[in-house]
Amino acid sequence: DVPRPRGVSLIKAPLYQPRAGDDSWTCLDGSKTIPFVQVNDDYCDCPDGSDEPGTSACAQGQFHCLNKGHESVDIPSSRVQDGVCDCCDGSDESQVVGCANTCAELGAAAAIQRRNQAELHKQGAEKRQEMITRGRQLRADRETRRLELERRIKDQEALKSEKQQIKINAEALESDALEVFKEQQRELDADTVQAEEEPQQMRQEASLSFGVYDINKDGFVEVTELMVDINLDRDRNGVVTVEEAKYFLDERERVDLDAFVTLAWPRIKPLKMLAEGLFQPPHADEQVPKVPVEATTEGVQQSQPQPTEEQIDMEASTDGEADEEGDEDQYDDEEGDVGVGEASPEIEAPAPPVYDPETQRLVEQANEARNALEEVERNIREIEQEVKEIDEQSAKDYGQQEEWAVLDGECYNFEDREYVYTLCPFDRASQKPKNGGAETTLGRWEQWIGEGYKYSKQKYGNGAACWNGPQRSAIINISCALEPRITSVGEPNRCEYYFEFETPAACDSEAQRAESVHDEL
Amino acid sequence: VDPNNFKTCEQSSFCRRSRKVQSSGSKYALIPGTLNSYTDSLTGDLVNKENHHLFSFKLEALAGSTFRLRIDEKQPLRPRYKVEHALKGQPEAGRIRLHTETDGEIVITSERTKAVLHGDPFYIDFYEHDVLVVSVNSKNWLYFEHLRPKPNEPTEQREGEQEDQDGAVETPKLTDSIDDPGAWEENFKSHHDSKPYGPEAVALDFSFPAAEILFGIPEHADSFVLKSTSRTDPYRLYNLDVFEYIVDSKMALYGSVPVIYGHGAQRTAGVYWQNAAETWVDIQTAETNVVSSLVNFVSGSRKTPPPGAHFISESGIVDAFIMLGPKPIDTFKQYAALTGTHELPQLFSLAYHQSRWNYNDERDVTAVSAKFDEYNIPMDTMWLDIEYTDGKRYFTWDKFKFPQPLAMIKNLTELGRHLVVIIDPHIKRDNGYFFHQDCTEKGYYVKTREGNDYEGWCWPGSASYPDFFNPDVRQYYASQFDLSRFQTVTADVMLWNDMNEPSVFNGPEITAPKDLVHYGNWEHRDVHNLYGHMHLMGTFAGLQQRDPNQRPFILTRAHFAGSQRYAAIWTGDNLADWPHLQHSIKMCLTEAVAGFSFCGADVGGFFGNPDAELLERWYQTGAFLPFFRAHAHIDTKRREPWLYPERTRLVIQNAIRKRYSYLPLWYTAFYELEKTGAPVIRPLLTHYPLDKDAFGIDDQLLVQDRLLVKPVMQQGVSKVDVYFPAIDDKKNGDLWYDADTYERQERVGYVSVPVTEYKIPVWQRGGSILAKKERPRRSAPLMLHDPYTLIICLDRNGRAAGTLFLDDEKSYDYRQGQYVYVSYDFSENQLTTRFIGKRLYESDAWIERIVIAGLERVPSSVGITVNGVKQNLESTRQGGAVVIRKPNVKMDVDFLLILHYA
Repeated sequence: DVPRPRGVSLIKAPLYQPRAGDDSWTCLDGSKTIPFVQVNDDYCDCPDGSDEPGTSACAQGQFHCLNKGHESVDIPSSRVQDGVCDCCDGSDESQVVGCANTCAELGAAAAIQRRNQAELHKQGAEKRQEMITRGRQLRADRETRRLELERRIKDQEALKSEKQQIKINAEALESDALEVFKEQQRELDADTVQAEEEPQQMRQEASLSFGVYDINKDGFVEVTELMVDINLDRDRNGVVTVEEAKYFLDERERVDLDAFVTLAWPRIKPLKMLAEGLFQPPHADEQVPKVPVEATTEGVQQSQPQPTEEQIDMEASTDGEADEEGDEDQYDDEEGDVGVGEASPEIEAPAPPVYDPETQRLVEQANEARNALEEVERNIREIEQEVKEIDEQSAKDYGQQEEWAVLDGECYNFEDREYVYTLCPFDRASQKPKNGGAETTLGRWEQWIGEGYKYSKQKYGNGAACWNGPQRSAIINISCALEPRITSVGEPNRCEYYFEFETPAACDSEAQRAESVHDEL
Repeated sequence: VDPNNFKTCEQSSFCRRSRKVQSSGSKYALIPGTLNSYTDSLTGDLVNKENHHLFSFKLEALAGSTFRLRIDEKQPLRPRYKVEHALKGQPEAGRIRLHTETDGEIVITSERTKAVLHGDPFYIDFYEHDVLVVSVNSKNWLYFEHLRPKPNEPTEQREGEQEDQDGAVETPKLTDSIDDPGAWEENFKSHHDSKPYGPEAVALDFSFPAAEILFGIPEHADSFVLKSTSRTDPYRLYNLDVFEYIVDSKMALYGSVPVIYGHGAQRTAGVYWQNAAETWVDIQTAETNVVSSLVNFVSGSRKTPPPGAHFISESGIVDAFIMLGPKPIDTFKQYAALTGTHELPQLFSLAYHQSRWNYNDERDVTAVSAKFDEYNIPMDTMWLDIEYTDGKRYFTWDKFKFPQPLAMIKNLTELGRHLVVIIDPHIKRDNGYFFHQDCTEKGYYVKTREGNDYEGWCWPGSASYPDFFNPDVRQYYASQFDLSRFQTVTADVMLWNDMNEPSVFNGPEITAPKDLVHYGNWEHRDVHNLYGHMHLMGTFAGLQQRDPNQRPFILTRAHFAGSQRYAAIWTGDNLADWPHLQHSIKMCLTEAVAGFSFCGADVGGFFGNPDAELLERWYQTGAFLPFFRAHAHIDTKRREPWLYPERTRLVIQNAIRKRYSYLPLWYTAFYELEKTGAPVIRPLLTHYPLDKDAFGIDDQLLVQDRLLVKPVMQQGVSKVDVYFPAIDDKKNGDLWYDADTYERQERVGYVSVPVTEYKIPVWQRGGSILAKKERPRRSAPLMLHDPYTLIICLDRNGRAAGTLFLDDEKSYDYRQGQYVYVSYDFSENQLTTRFIGKRLYESDAWIERIVIAGLERVPSSVGITVNGVKQNLESTRQGGAVVIRKPNVKMDVDFLLILHYA
């Protein structure tokens, strides 16, 4: 044992030697020289507090607990001689306090803890390795798929110009024929009036809905205002996402009445009708012979990662020109059954005009050309959509080794007394009352925010707004374990949630180092 | 807050009736031949010359230059309520001498004071050393509505229908009619007040001929000096739960202390209007100080009438204490002699408190406590607001969030820390809740007029309110604190009584209806302002019974005269903005002179989110108010110091550590408050009564007469203007020493002082000695054995004096002499000690350092003599002071310190 003043570590012992000759000593910051007997005399002489390593005299001093059998630590001088045993060897307090020396026990416990942690990390690291492999595979698959899609876009673009040309030609012929036909029909055409009424009625009902959606009555329907209508939850996941809502607004943040009538309502209406039971989505098998477009999309669907969304997409787009007839048949049929409700549209299909056979042939030809082009364009859109999704995924930070990628698409639940909390990593966090009631979005994926080690914490933001408060958000603290699970959820700040989440993905050496550093603090 | 939710005087029938007297005057006269004199008092009968109703009065002399005047009906139809429990006990009687009884003028004297009664019209002048200081009813605004039978039903109905009906038609006696439509029933918003006993207001005017300003009558978010009400509503005293209250307002708040003071350069006097009913106070004072002082200056005399106060109460009797000073501190002590003081608090309660609505669960409490240690910020007390309970059922815990309260409490107490939990008076109406069952079965709730248990709406939802006026109810409630019953706390867990105005969310003006019935068949109208006080009496008794040798700590929101004996107060639900920060000092100064030294404001502001600068400045201000607690609304962002940038955290750490360093001063000041009644914090006029420019200063405060504090309470400033008061009317002042640098300040008047973000502008008065403890600890109890530093600041004659009190900081043993109370005197370069009282407490603490500011030169040597042994000490200059190293003498030991100059 090296003789040294109380509270001084072995490393610093050489600094606490009286100067030979006059028994003086200089403060460690060099600011002052004092008699060595004033070291640890319970009076603070040095501005840096270095003369009182073993007492509480200096406010900014440090006391070294040797803690033999456990880890040595430095504690602030303010904890010396205050009657509380802070060092496990009890060296910070006088005999009177009678601190028990608990270092041996603590040291043994800590060793076990360390071993367990090491073992956990070792096993976790194996699992993590699998996740890395799968994550890398996923990335490779995405890249392959993307190249494939790019190729297909090129093909489709070529096809598109071809079909465009055919359409132009067919429409020219049709146009001429119709001109002639219309000339003949003009004087008999009493239905025109009715035909004009149709958009009128459409507008009326759209305005009504506009009024309902425009909650804050600012003359615009915004994304958030649509997000409250669960009918618009196209992917049926229980929440209307921003993306979903934006689809209905033609990818805009908000629309005014006119834009709503022309752009938004045609997309919303089918879903409203669907919700009200007024509208049955076309069954693919029935539609195949009638509407060739459906058959094509059916084919596309099989290769889509999210078939349900596509399905809804199709349903929503059925108000396109090409499908008009079919839709309205469906719709008219249903209307009679359920009775005319407030929201039920009152559009009657105009009787289709009866053309002479030649005109009929040209019109059909033009329809076919249009449909064909439509189909190609639709294919392109769908491919582009998939490319976009792939790019979005690729843009997400799945870790340095893609170890987090497999968590995207998974969801984990945690129940407490009142709520079921859900975390879908890289997507969203949410909360649902156990006694029924709607799910609340606590936040959508934003980024990694770990301090020190980035991959120890995730942030989900932009959740549903609190009454009289901010938008909800969630922080996910992640630690290593063999099985993925949420261990606790709290709301320390109003509307700011904290999840404790465990996964083998976090069992890497860097995280362990970061953790152990944190423990020491 | 929306002021429309609260009554104006015009919307309050008794206020508008009583206020009318200000234009008409009234006619009361002494009835000759009815006078009786006793050794300490004089009684007699009065008559209202308009309706011939008879009253009796009693004028008593009390010890300490105080008179008490009571007027009641001679034969009331039913007894009128007389306030109980506000006075600390039976006031000590004085002796009177009856001098003359001629021409309807009676003179009585008592020591230095004199009262002159005038018979017709009836009024009384009070003199202190032959200077007229208070006149009672000199304006003839005495107004006493005698109880009367209710007019017959049809009349009443017609009155209700038609407001401007001439009352003369229905009532037989023209002169005795009260034709106000609100006399027998009254509506406010959707609430109906049945007023079964009709009009019964009492009102009286008091003038202060020797005064220039009036102050007092808390609680209002207004300036220290009361403003004229000639163009506004009167100040209102009615305990109310006011959400986001407005500053610079005369609206009623949570507490009502009907004591007012008049102060002029030569004399200070006060009046305590002992009435617990709703009260309005009209203030007559010069509208614009500049003009009136100019007029006074030019004419050399007072042109404006003296300041006056007109107290108007809804029911009860006239019971007024006239306190005759003559100095401000005398008057404050006279009031304290009547209503008492806070007893010496446990030291921890003077340290820093950490609160929030709410710390969510055990883990939260433990984590926050640990963070204070991580960042080395002292903290003594964690607070739990309503959410700790099982569904707002007091005396229970939420078993999910707080499954192991005792373990959580132990985590705190192991570090010397405390826990405070809230217990409010609203009781959840839940048949499975024992407290509700007991109160229902035993009939302990406040009743409706029909005799049913009153049900209001508060935090638990449907709630009833125990009738704490019933001693059995108080005892039942107090017994709940017994650790055999409330097993989930320890004797170290202290109490917070909130919402005790009482707050009733669906009641008139968010409180209880006035026609509820209390113990003794009194209406809520009679006792409203005392409800919180009675709640406190129950809590205090409960804590004392729980652990008879531990001093209770209670925080209350509602308060009345005398509540200071039981609890500390805070200024309620303030806002996180600069004006509310500024009002924290104005309000606490007014409370302090009205008995409530133990006052503070929610640091950071209850509602809203303070920015870093506001939070920093609020901590610095709070560090120099007696009650120092950070608290926040549930909807605000978390604001523990480490959640702000590092600089803010360090500024806050600095402010809190500074507070801890001055704990010996605060503790001594509270001991001296208990002993003498002298407020702990004081407005400048307390010690500088001659300096007229200091009268209105309410952004600075004195801690006793030792520190002058001017916290920075403005945004974005790099300097503050500090007023250094004059000790006379010739611009002579004290010396002041910057508490950080000991730089000397000799000027009088405003001085611009630069400030950094860390600076709390504080000066120690030249002539004072105080003790500090300069070792930071995690909590105040851990400082018990730490050594003291004496700070000696010299006056112009090289002298200084000051006291220090120490004991075990927790128990009542000091009342058995287990304390050390020492007075230090420095003069002629010598420091001497004088011990007051028994000196039985044995402390390990010692003096580690003596700092002397104001010495011209560093002494060549310093000698200390202890028990006949002499020793030399090292001394060095540090800034503006000389620091004497390590006298190393125990606190209970006499010593002599001598500075030598070669």
